[in-house]
Amino acid sequence: MTDHTLTDRQPTDASRGYWQRVARDGDKMGFWFILPTFLLLLFIVIFPLFMQLYLSVTWWTPLEGIPWYSAWEVFNWGENYWFLATDPRFWGALWRTALIMIVAVPAQFLLGMALAYLFIDTFPGRKIFYSILLTPMMIVPAVVGLMFFLLFQGTGPVNAHLGLPAEFSWLTDVNRAMISVIIADIWQWTPLMFLILLAGMLGVPSDQLLAARLLGGSNWQNFVKIILPRMKTVIIIALVLRAVECFKIFDLVYIMTKGGPGVQTETISVFLYKQTFGELEWSYVAAIGLTILIVLSVIAAKGLAYMARKQG
Amino acid sequence: MSSIQINNVTKRFGDFTAVRDLSIDIEEGEFVALLGPSGCGKTTTMNMIAGLEEPSEGEILFDGKDLSSLRIQDRNIGFVFQNYAIFTHLSVFKNLSYGLEVKKVPKPEIERRVQAMADRMSISHRLDQPASSLSVNEMQKLAIGRSAIVEPRIFLLDEPLSNLDAGFRAYMRAELKVLQHEFGQTMIYVTHDQIEAMSLADKIAIIDQGKLMQYGAPLDIYNDPQNRFVANFVGSPRMNLVDGELREERGALHLMLHGGAEIPLSGKVRADFTRDGSVHGGSFGVRPQDIYFGDKRGSNDIAMHGKVEVLERVGPKRLAYLQVQDTLFLAFDDLDRLRVGDEVPFYLPSDKSLAFDMKTGRRLGGA
Repeated sequence: MTDHTLTDRQPTDASRGYWQRVARDGDKMGFWFILPTFLLLLFIVIFPLFMQLYLSVTWWTPLEGIPWYSAWEVFNWGENYWFLATDPRFWGALWRTALIMIVAVPAQFLLGMALAYLFIDTFPGRKIFYSILLTPMMIVPAVVGLMFFLLFQGTGPVNAHLGLPAEFSWLTDVNRAMISVIIADIWQWTPLMFLILLAGMLGVPSDQLLAARLLGGSNWQNFVKIILPRMKTVIIIALVLRAVECFKIFDLVYIMTKGGPGVQTETISVFLYKQTFGELEWSYVAAIGLTILIVLSVIAAKGLAYMARKQG
Repeated sequence: MSSIQINNVTKRFGDFTAVRDLSIDIEEGEFVALLGPSGCGKTTTMNMIAGLEEPSEGEILFDGKDLSSLRIQDRNIGFVFQNYAIFTHLSVFKNLSYGLEVKKVPKPEIERRVQAMADRMSISHRLDQPASSLSVNEMQKLAIGRSAIVEPRIFLLDEPLSNLDAGFRAYMRAELKVLQHEFGQTMIYVTHDQIEAMSLADKIAIIDQGKLMQYGAPLDIYNDPQNRFVANFVGSPRMNLVDGELREERGALHLMLHGGAEIPLSGKVRADFTRDGSVHGGSFGVRPQDIYFGDKRGSNDIAMHGKVEVLERVGPKRLAYLQVQDTLFLAFDDLDRLRVGDEVPFYLPSDKSLAFDMKTGRRLGGA
């Protein structure tokens, strides 16, 4: 029966309007089912988005005493965007966020891939190791931040293990602060990468792998020629997911360093937070937010488009 | 090309014994079928030959050498999977060239050999297309070609024809036979289809519940089954096998069938039953082709009387189901005169009837 409706509907779909398709052959049931969700999305996504766009082209701040809908009174012809383009603090934060992404995501990918490869075969204790490996991902990021804050103290366990003096600081050092944050992020999110990649790897038909081995392919050759190509889609999903997530990194940084020393670990999210609740520059924040949204959308769209191409 | 010796191999999975004390000698260039019902251990046996499983006991020798220390990729064993295991993300060409590429064979040679193999398997017009676009029949050819191109020391085929439609299966059966001669390779073929095994193999190893029931040339197995299982498994339509108790009355030996009928034994089959005096329960076996109607042809042949229950057309011949009390005998209607409901006499040829010990299934007498 499902078959019937599917094949029946497909050719006419393109020629019909959106609402007609939603309403399904005159049956309005489907429409009513999605209506509540649609309204909810309208209020929590679409409406705030337009509100943000509106505010971002004004000087509006909550201090002026003008209600937000009257922000047109301080309309500034998009000067916020101009200011943004020349704000070294914004570019610095953007670069640092990108740096975390560039270092942490590939590291998570390689570690996750290696772990996944270990886990496609069974070995004693596999289930226990599997559970242990997944724990970092399940800890609240703020708690992970706190853990690494404590670990990287001058008198903390890291220095003690490495035999470094208490003056050797991690979180207050210009370079090492960033390294600490990246390490914490890798620690927390490698498991997610591992989980996704393992699922993808287990999806590679085992008889094809066996056939490749019987044909004389070494493990590495079979990995490159059989496993990797078959995992392309999963890999893209994992990378896009992590890249976008990385861009939003906040908890770890805020708890470990508060963006310091100075602005040395200030990421976009931390910068936004400080602008919002420190400087109360809300219209400026709206402009930053929209810009980031566009950047992220481009990354995600590129990834998804690539994926769609691969799937034909 | 290699000879293979399987010596007293046992394979256990936990408490379950999949293969027990199996010994088979396969000579260089031979085509051997491992035949048995599902779950009999034939696939496990093949996996052990390929090195995918390790025997719990015993050894498998290739040309007298034990390869168990070699990794799978270094064993050079051709393996055709039941579902072909085609690399569906690669082109047909890349599938064929895989085994050569990983061995770093020079490019021009790869191209030459792939082209030759594709021509041989008549899939050369498909070389540039993705392997996923092939039909099942073409995938079958590709799977064989992909394994053959690396010139493996032996060739293992796991139920390779079971996914094909009937017409192509018959064609592929003949084709496999031709290929085997061309490659001259030692081939081991796993199947549950006795017709396939009979028509293809030089030798058949019949396995049941992990044990070798009989190993020999197809005709020997057909004519001279060593036990009740083999007799029942080989041949189409199946051999008539009826069980009963032996009873001697006034010098005449009868097999009292459980269905109530009795077979008066005489001649060779009688001698087979009595050669080993300790047998009480016996199975009497006779192939449907050997039962005949009309005039008695041999002085020792056993006369029976039954009612024609069903007539079934099988090609040009008719199969008759003859009811003798509660026992059914299957026979070919060689005179083409039977009608349903007829009470007819028929004969069981003593020379061609087989005797088995019902308890052990062992063949009594025999060649």
